[in-house]
Amino acid sequence: MKRVLSAGIWLVVGVCGAGALAAIAFHRGEGLSATWFVLAAVCCYLVAYRFYSAFVAARVLALDNSRATPAERHDDGRDFVPTNKWVLFGHHFAAIAGPGPLVGPTLAAQFGYLPGTLWLIAGAVLGGCVQDFVILFCSIRRDGKSLGQMAREEVGRRGGFLAQLAVLTIMVILLAVVGLVIVNALKSSPWATFTLAMTIPIALLMGVYLRYWRPGRVLEASALGVVLIVFVVVAGQWVSQAPSWARVFTLSGTALAFAIIAYGFAASALPVWLLLAPRDYLSAFIKAGAVLALAGGILIVRPAVQMPALTRFVDGSGPVFAGKVFPFCFITIACGAVSGFHALISSGTTPKMILREGHARLIGYGAMLLESFVGVMAMVAACAMPPGVYFAINSPAGIVGSTAQSAAATISSWGFPLNPTAMVELARGVGEQTLLNRAGGAPSLAVGMAQIFSNTIGGPRLLSIWYHFAIMFEALFILTVLDAGTRVGRFMLQELGGRVWKPLGSHGWTPGILVTSAAIVGLWGYFLYQGVVDPLGGINLLWPLFGIANQLLAAVALVVATTILIKMGRWRWLWVTLTPMCALVTVTMTASYQKIFHPDPRIGLLSNASALAGQLAAGSIPAARVAEVHRLIFSQRLDAVVCAVLALMIVALLAEAGRLWYGLVTRQIRPVLHESPYIATRWAAGD
Amino acid sequence: MLFLLRAFRIFWRALREWSGDAAYERYLCALQGGRGETPAPLSPTDFYLEQLERRYATPSRCC
Repeated sequence: MKRVLSAGIWLVVGVCGAGALAAIAFHRGEGLSATWFVLAAVCCYLVAYRFYSAFVAARVLALDNSRATPAERHDDGRDFVPTNKWVLFGHHFAAIAGPGPLVGPTLAAQFGYLPGTLWLIAGAVLGGCVQDFVILFCSIRRDGKSLGQMAREEVGRRGGFLAQLAVLTIMVILLAVVGLVIVNALKSSPWATFTLAMTIPIALLMGVYLRYWRPGRVLEASALGVVLIVFVVVAGQWVSQAPSWARVFTLSGTALAFAIIAYGFAASALPVWLLLAPRDYLSAFIKAGAVLALAGGILIVRPAVQMPALTRFVDGSGPVFAGKVFPFCFITIACGAVSGFHALISSGTTPKMILREGHARLIGYGAMLLESFVGVMAMVAACAMPPGVYFAINSPAGIVGSTAQSAAATISSWGFPLNPTAMVELARGVGEQTLLNRAGGAPSLAVGMAQIFSNTIGGPRLLSIWYHFAIMFEALFILTVLDAGTRVGRFMLQELGGRVWKPLGSHGWTPGILVTSAAIVGLWGYFLYQGVVDPLGGINLLWPLFGIANQLLAAVALVVATTILIKMGRWRWLWVTLTPMCALVTVTMTASYQKIFHPDPRIGLLSNASALAGQLAAGSIPAARVAEVHRLIFSQRLDAVVCAVLALMIVALLAEAGRLWYGLVTRQIRPVLHESPYIATRWAAGD
Repeated sequence: MLFLLRAFRIFWRALREWSGDAAYERYLCALQGGRGETPAPLSPTDFYLEQLERRYATPSRCC
């Protein structure tokens, strides 16, 4: 009877999910309620978790709860700490959820809501969750080893080197792109700039509190920080209304880029307790609160999605970024569907804290499902605003012009009516001078969130407060990624430099710290600066590069996972990792090829450089802009080289793995797994 | 009422674990539960600093 009831319930969940997906896919015309999106996503996640993840856990990985995990065997209260599965779920989710699942879907909304939503759900269920889960399992079986170490041991030395190189590359591009998102969110906005600037002294105060007054009392310091943050969000309005102060905090894109570069250097070189850690604590609390509030807001307000299911820009002519829906939708939405970066977290601290192998299903697969849900909510928030407004905010001045009138005329001609007065009023409503040409995804997401929040609490009166709260929330945890990423990048450079000259590798040698900090900041700072001065807004170029790098890392992770499954003799279930791997390689290689060689200058880097060089040769560039155009040509060619290197890395990795797999299939190579030996757990089943 | 109190206690404990507030107590427990000779425990400040150095040496925050 119980089994029949259970089957009945799951049948209802499945039918509801299929019905909601059909409603999303086939609806045309009037706005579609956001409830359908929530229902489709939740039902698909429930079915996937109940059946697919259970299948992967039991058949593919054969999780063994009788086996002692690294946390049990090496419990030292420092690195290896046995942790309750729900607490670890929270840890893992906080670590994997960054700005990616918010920004990516917002940018991909230019294709309409359908491609992005389907990719978010299907990509996560069949690719991203599987990757996170399998890599977590592999790391647990190897005493919590990192992805690079596993690649070296299981695939080969070159595989390990490629993984390390991929991590460094992705780090540089990621930091540049998130820096650019902040620049575009703060540009000419004294309120937002003041609020974010004030988070620095707040973090410093928290750092001193945690270091000297109450060591390790994170909750007390975070409560203090959150109260101060709320205060500075409100105080930002007073600053923006006082002309003398507003002038101080009204910065151009270039000035903001240099400020962020200087900040990144300071965060990398300063002691970790002073700035990085307290900002991370603040960011974790505000992130959790804002994501929950957004979910609650969408359920209460149930906004109608106004963006069509598919827009005309699926043909590749989109103003937000150029390129057809395939492959660029799948590159733009990386985090939220499949993100290679997650493999670093799944092979980082999480495997060292897990109590039982069986918990890997909830933590690896389940946390990624939740991240995908955040992506779906971001898609809803972006698509809930009138499409004309969405395109006005996200299109660069180079395409729609820099005045409300020119933007309204251009965007209306695309079939998305836009009233110039409405844009001016919206900007005034959120307390900004203008919302035009704010490419990057953060401002439009903030507008969407603010509209949902203000419909829940406060009405139009609080729209500006909610908008700046949303901007602060996005910028705060983007800066956390920037701080932490720069520091890890510095360590990587120190490790590489230490092989050439030993003192450079020492973490306590100040000149070494300063030099490597400057080097890593210089690397991402260069790409950030180029993005800021790019007339097409930079995001057009940097975000696809970031997507390619991220998916490259996912391909590395899935190659490692497939190799381990082969060595475990799970031939029958290889498709579980092989299918997403093939899909990602296809997407990444197609996108890389198009980014380098596409004849359309808006897509192809080399054709863009040639077009600019042609204009220079024809003398059609004003003398004042010649130097700038030379710089643009150089940066386009450099980006083409970066893209080619990323693609070659994938080819090299596949060749390395293919050689090994062939040897294993033909039994010329004996499968050697580098698992830790089996030790039975000493803990009772209920622990 | 008792149920609410219990639920709050569980939530509070989980929050302290999640945020890292309880990390030092955890460390002391692990030290006491260890086999063989127990090394002298670190002070709260040293433990806090050491923990941060380790945590932020590897990718800890995703995109």
